[in-house]
Amino acid sequence: MLLHLLNRSPQSLSVYRELGEAFGADDHLLLIEDACYAALPSASAALEPFGGRVSVLAEDLASRGLAERVSPAIAVVDMNGFLSLTESHQRCVSWF
Amino acid sequence: MLTYALLVHAAPYSHQSALSALRFAETVVARGHRLKTVFFYHDGVHNASALMSPPQDEVHLADGWKRLHEVHGAELLVCVAAGLRRGVLDTSEASRHGLAAHSVEPPFELTGVGQLVDAMLANDRLITFAP
Amino acid sequence: MTTFSDMETVSDVETVPQDLLIVLRHPPHGSQWLREGLDVALVAAAFGQRVGLLFQGDGVYALLKDQQAGALGQKGTHPQMAMLEMYDIDMLWVSETALAERELSADDLMLPMVPLNAEAVAELFARHPRTLIF
Repeated sequence: MLLHLLNRSPQSLSVYRELGEAFGADDHLLLIEDACYAALPSASAALEPFGGRVSVLAEDLASRGLAERVSPAIAVVDMNGFLSLTESHQRCVSWF
Repeated sequence: MLTYALLVHAAPYSHQSALSALRFAETVVARGHRLKTVFFYHDGVHNASALMSPPQDEVHLADGWKRLHEVHGAELLVCVAAGLRRGVLDTSEASRHGLAAHSVEPPFELTGVGQLVDAMLANDRLITFAP
Repeated sequence: MTTFSDMETVSDVETVPQDLLIVLRHPPHGSQWLREGLDVALVAAAFGQRVGLLFQGDGVYALLKDQQAGALGQKGTHPQMAMLEMYDIDMLWVSETALAERELSADDLMLPMVPLNAEAVAELFARHPRTLIF
């Protein structure tokens, strides 16, 4: 059970592809920084491989003007939620 | 309570990642966990620059890291090989290389990659922040 | 010519987890990622850790034969690749998808690699206690 951190916009196709290859059935993906753009409904195809096990960081959404645009399918977490994810997942890897 | 180590690859003020790392570190200690080690590697070594002088209305990253050391005892380790190449070095490395200036002051410490391996083994969590 | 599709699909034996998995996703020369990732692998091995390497995405270009030091004075990463064996780093995995996308085969590579399909890549991540991505 891994937590995957991702910080690239969905235009960076290769990192999404490689993460998709590594993503296990019990894993979770947290979108931070420019990966927030993947949380928009228009980018939903980029997140398809992750089967709804995706969260996005509230602070990074808000700073990018995306707070009201985020897809309802994605859980929004604040920094405490980010920390909680690292508590509940023993291992964390970062994709960039 | 868990122990955390952070691996920081991002240069300050070039990419959000360095700020993200500091924000995460502050949240770790605010939640009552122990932040034992921050290891600066790749372009992340520039976070240790004592010469960093951001405008007053911006976060001072090096001061933020120092505060985590002073208040919470986090060790601030800078990869010596990555640092030397990029001109990030302390007084002893500067004199070893015959250089007149240095850019790293305590509590940042220059260390080898072996310390990263140790930090990985010794802590409950290792979280990486990269550009 | 041997192609990876001729090879047997990986079994559990070939994905024996090591202490540390280093994932290399960047090609040589253009950035320092590959070099500094390999440095961590070599140092960890020197510290007695069992290290496995996974080459994924453009990281597979690290494996191409005939690499040289750069005309701009870059050392390149092929000398580090040549040192892996000396450091007992012999679990070398490569993403089959990454090779296929780049039309590469075993004959193009400087070291013998174990090709992994997508499922086996996910299993590799799941089974390693520690993983660093470069």
